[in-house]
Amino acid sequence: MLGMLGIPSGFGEPLHPGWPAPLEREPNQPPLPWRIVHSQLIGANIVSAIRLIVGFSISVFLGATLGTAMWRWSALDEFLRPAFLGLQTLPSVCWVPLAVLVFGLNETGILFVLVMGSTFGISISMRDGLRAIPPLYRRAGLMMGARRWRLYRYVLFPASLPALASSLRQGFSFAWRSLMGAELILAADRQGLGFLLALGRDNGIISQVVAVMIVMVIIGMLADRLAFAPLERRVHNRFGFGAAA
Amino acid sequence: MFFDNGRSTNLEKPPVAGRLTLDRVSKRFTNSEYAAVEDITLDCRPGEFVVVVGPSGSGKTTLLNIAAGMTRPDSGGASLDGIPITAPGPERAMVFQDHGLFPWLTTAQNVEFGLKMAGVPPSERSDRVADALRMVHLSGSSEKLVHELSGGMRQRVSIARALVMNPAVLLMDEPFASLDAQTRTLLHHQLQILWGQTQKTILFVTHSVGEAVRLADRIIVLNTHPGRIRKEICVELAHPRIFDSPDINELAKLVRKEIEQEVNRVNALAAEDSWRPEETADLGTFADDVGSGI
Repeated sequence: MLGMLGIPSGFGEPLHPGWPAPLEREPNQPPLPWRIVHSQLIGANIVSAIRLIVGFSISVFLGATLGTAMWRWSALDEFLRPAFLGLQTLPSVCWVPLAVLVFGLNETGILFVLVMGSTFGISISMRDGLRAIPPLYRRAGLMMGARRWRLYRYVLFPASLPALASSLRQGFSFAWRSLMGAELILAADRQGLGFLLALGRDNGIISQVVAVMIVMVIIGMLADRLAFAPLERRVHNRFGFGAAA
Repeated sequence: MFFDNGRSTNLEKPPVAGRLTLDRVSKRFTNSEYAAVEDITLDCRPGEFVVVVGPSGSGKTTLLNIAAGMTRPDSGGASLDGIPITAPGPERAMVFQDHGLFPWLTTAQNVEFGLKMAGVPPSERSDRVADALRMVHLSGSSEKLVHELSGGMRQRVSIARALVMNPAVLLMDEPFASLDAQTRTLLHHQLQILWGQTQKTILFVTHSVGEAVRLADRIIVLNTHPGRIRKEICVELAHPRIFDSPDINELAKLVRKEIEQEVNRVNALAAEDSWRPEETADLGTFADDVGSGI
C-alpha cells in the first residue's frame, strides 16, 4: 500500500547498490513477541541502558559537585555560571563533531556527548536549589551544634533534596536525548537504540525507523513517570511544597 | 491544662548557672549610617526573664545574635558564666521568629536533632524528646511533618527543640510575632509555666510592649539609630501573669508613655519629611507595637 503512494515500503531490494538488503518478509513468520525477543531491539536497549546509567551517573556526580562548588564559592559562580548557561543552550548533538575528533567513534565519544549534554543543566539547577535554602536552616543547625561536615550532611544536603530531585529529573531527559543523538550519529560498535534508528534510515525501512522512535519515546516516558517524577513528588510532599507535576 | 503538677524531668537543672553578660558591645554594619548596637551593657542573672523591647531597627535582633554567637561585635564582648561567646552553641539555644524547623524531619526528629549532634545515645534521646514534647503538649504530634503543624504548634516544637538540649540560656527572637493574638496569649502563658519549671535564663526580644510587660522580670527599652539602652524597667508582678489583668495594662501604659517620644522620633524618621508625630501618634490606642515598620 505504501508503494502505491510512492513511498518505499522498505521491503525487498536495497534502495542503493551496495547497501545491505532489508529484511525480507518471510511466509509463516513466528509470532510477534518471539520476533521482538530475537530481534536486535533487546540487545540495543541493553547497550543503551548501560551507556545511560554510566553516563548519567557521571553527569549527576559532576553536576552536583560543580553546582555545590558554585554555590559555595561566589567567585567560581561568577566565572562558571554564564559559561554554563551558554553551553546549556547548545543542542547536545553539536558536541558530536568534537567528540569524534577528540575521542573517535567509540564509547568514550558517546559518553562525552551524553555528559556534556546533561551536566551543565544539572549544575545550574543544583546551584539554584542550594541558593534557595533558607539561611535560617543553617543558623538553626549551627545553634544545635551541627558544625563543619555535619552541617553539610545533616542540614544542607537534606535541605537541597527538592532541588536535587528536580535537577535529576530534568537532567535525565537531557541525558536520554543526548545519548540517542550521539548513538544515531556516532554509531559506535554498531550498537544501541540510536544506531538501530540509523540502520533503519540506511536501509530505508520506515517501519523500523518509526518503531525505534516509538520505543525511544516509551522508554523516556517510563523512566520519567516511574522513577523521576515519583521521586520528585515524594520529596516535595515531604517538604510540604504541594503536588509536583 | 497548662500545669504539669511539678513532674520532674531531666530538663529542669541547667548544667551551668546561666549568667549571660554583654559588656559594652557595639556593632555597626558596613552599609549603615548608624550603629545597630552601641555600647550596650546587660547582665542577665541566672533564671532571669529579660525582655528587650524596641522599634524595628533598634538592633534588638543584632543584640540577640551577638549573645547567640552568630554575630561578632565590633567592640566589647559577650560571655556566659564568665566564658566568652565566640560561636553558636547548644548551651545558648535560640527560638527563631520563623521557627526554622527542618521540613524533611518529623516533629520528634526535629526535637532530637540537637541531641544527635551532641552524640547522645539513641535510647536516652527518645526519652528526652518525649519529655520535651510533653512539656509543650505536643506528644500526640511527634510523627507529624512541619507543614502539617499550625503556626503555634511549630513555635512550640521550636521551643521544645531548644529546651531538649538543656541550655543555660534561652534566646528568643520575636518567637510569637507571626502568630494570631489568641495563640500568642496561649503561648505567653505556656512559656511562663515552662520558665517556672525549668528556671532558664531567658533573653527575649520583641517589639510588642504588651508582650514585654506580660513576660518580663526586667524590660530593656532600646533606642534606635544608634541602638542604645534607653531605660530599664523592673516588673515585680508574680508569674504566670494573666492576660489583660489591670496591673498588666497599667504597667503597659506606663511603658508606652516611657517610649512614646522614641516611637514618635522613629516614625518621623521613617516617614522622612512632612510627618508631624505630635499630631498623629496617639499611643493610648497604639496597638501594642513599637512601630514594626510603617
